[in-house]
Amino acid sequence: MPKHDTPMIDELESGPWPSFVTDLKRQAEKSPQCWDILGKMELSFRDRITHWKHGGIVGVFGYGGGIVGRYSDVPEQYPGVAHFHTVRLNQPSSKFYTTEKLRQVCDLWEKRGSGMTNMHGSTGDLVLLGTTTDQLEPLFWDLTHDLNWDLGGSGSNLRTPSCCLGKARCEYSCIDTQALCHHLTMHYQDEIHRPAFPYKFKFKFSGCPNDCVAAIARSDFAVLGTWKDDIRIDQSAVKGYVNGDFASNAGAHAGRDWGKFDIEKEVIDLCPTHCMRMKGEELQIDNSNCTRCMHCINVMPRALRPGLEQGATICVGAKAPILDGAQFATMTIPFLKVDPENDFEEVIEVIEKIWDWWMEVGKNRERVGETIMRVGLPTFLKVMEVDIVPQHVKEPRSNPYVFWGEDEVEGGWDRSVVEFRKRHAQ
Amino acid sequence: MALSKEELKAAILEKATNAPKPQLYVKDFYACDPDSKPRAVKNAANELVKEGKMAFWSSGSTTMYAAKGRAKDEEK
Ligand code: SF4
Ligand code: SF4
Repeated sequence: MPKHDTPMIDELESGPWPSFVTDLKRQAEKSPQCWDILGKMELSFRDRITHWKHGGIVGVFGYGGGIVGRYSDVPEQYPGVAHFHTVRLNQPSSKFYTTEKLRQVCDLWEKRGSGMTNMHGSTGDLVLLGTTTDQLEPLFWDLTHDLNWDLGGSGSNLRTPSCCLGKARCEYSCIDTQALCHHLTMHYQDEIHRPAFPYKFKFKFSGCPNDCVAAIARSDFAVLGTWKDDIRIDQSAVKGYVNGDFASNAGAHAGRDWGKFDIEKEVIDLCPTHCMRMKGEELQIDNSNCTRCMHCINVMPRALRPGLEQGATICVGAKAPILDGAQFATMTIPFLKVDPENDFEEVIEVIEKIWDWWMEVGKNRERVGETIMRVGLPTFLKVMEVDIVPQHVKEPRSNPYVFWGEDEVEGGWDRSVVEFRKRHAQ
Repeated sequence: MALSKEELKAAILEKATNAPKPQLYVKDFYACDPDSKPRAVKNAANELVKEGKMAFWSSGSTTMYAAKGRAKDEEK
């Protein structure tokens, strides 16, 4: 396959950062079809339009996801990328790999595809970029039989669940994110591999409200570890921070001299609910008003730790599309038990309640967050059988009417109008 | 009463074959039997794909169903 003249694409190599164009040129020495990607991209830059067609039918037998069809609309000009399908691999929980496994997958991909990868896609999968239709079944065979590795989700499937490092490495973690992620991945194999919903559905799990996988911004169902009781305080370590014995934020911002640590300015004044104060040398927290933002704990990890009664907050309905605007997930269940002993029964119950409702009420290509916006949060909370708490309220009311439910009115809708008129007749 | 699984599959295939649009969303099949739960409709449609009578068409972000031979770009 010949090299193409690509003056515009070459410009992308001139900046200070590593360039994918350089990577592609290097890969092209082994996989000549990469020259055609560069050529086709140059054409797109020139024509100011994509030359990929929208979607298609590809897949492997028995699966309805994990492979995304990409067909070119200029196949004669760039035959190397006439089809250039993407393969999504289900990444291990928290993305822990052995180098051996990574070498195996890279070798396999050079044999069956372009050799180009994307580590990782925004859903979390390890993405293999570019192969032809005839290579898909052999690739799937090798992947599942030799590497013991499976595809992830795409289309209207449950997307590959993903989680933060959790208890494997992080002392903040209030739930075992990896156990939960792995359990639900296995439990919902059918939903991951075959379309199940009006549109895509994503799970993400973070061990604490720092939310390192950005579950609240990117997933339809976000599980965020939290605690119910009081933040654990070690008053002597608080003193240590005040005296400058320990670096704040575990030394994370030590690259610059920020001056002496000031607990009032750096912790207490920044608490979003103003629920902390110093009484003499003692740090006090009004835990009933703490919103579990993690700020104070992040700044003074030796002195403060999450409480011991741990579980998760469930937020529902994030999406991050390019069109139509992104939205964060809405806090739905303030505290839920996350218990590996009972196979996460409570979490599964909530998930299936959402699915049953959304499959019925959601429109085609409508994310669950959009369905909630359409019907209103109160309706959704009623479906979820959640008691409404002040934290569910986003803003003061703007609609003057109060709508009563039948069960809230004496006699329901069946009370006698004749009786009423008798008493109220003019 | 909800249709039996085989009746439901026949109704879905009929719709996929004769609907003016060649590609349909899973929700478009709900009307084949209003008494069947959405999950039962989804399972029946997926089974038809497994049997080779329908195919998935995917844009990457969403998935549609087409009767065999009706999908856009299908390699016949
Ligand atoms: S989300 Fe919390 S528990 Fe998970 S890695 Fe980040 S800080 Fe640690
Ligand atoms: S976690 Fe956040 S809200 Fe709670 S006490 Fe600390 S700074 Fe305040």
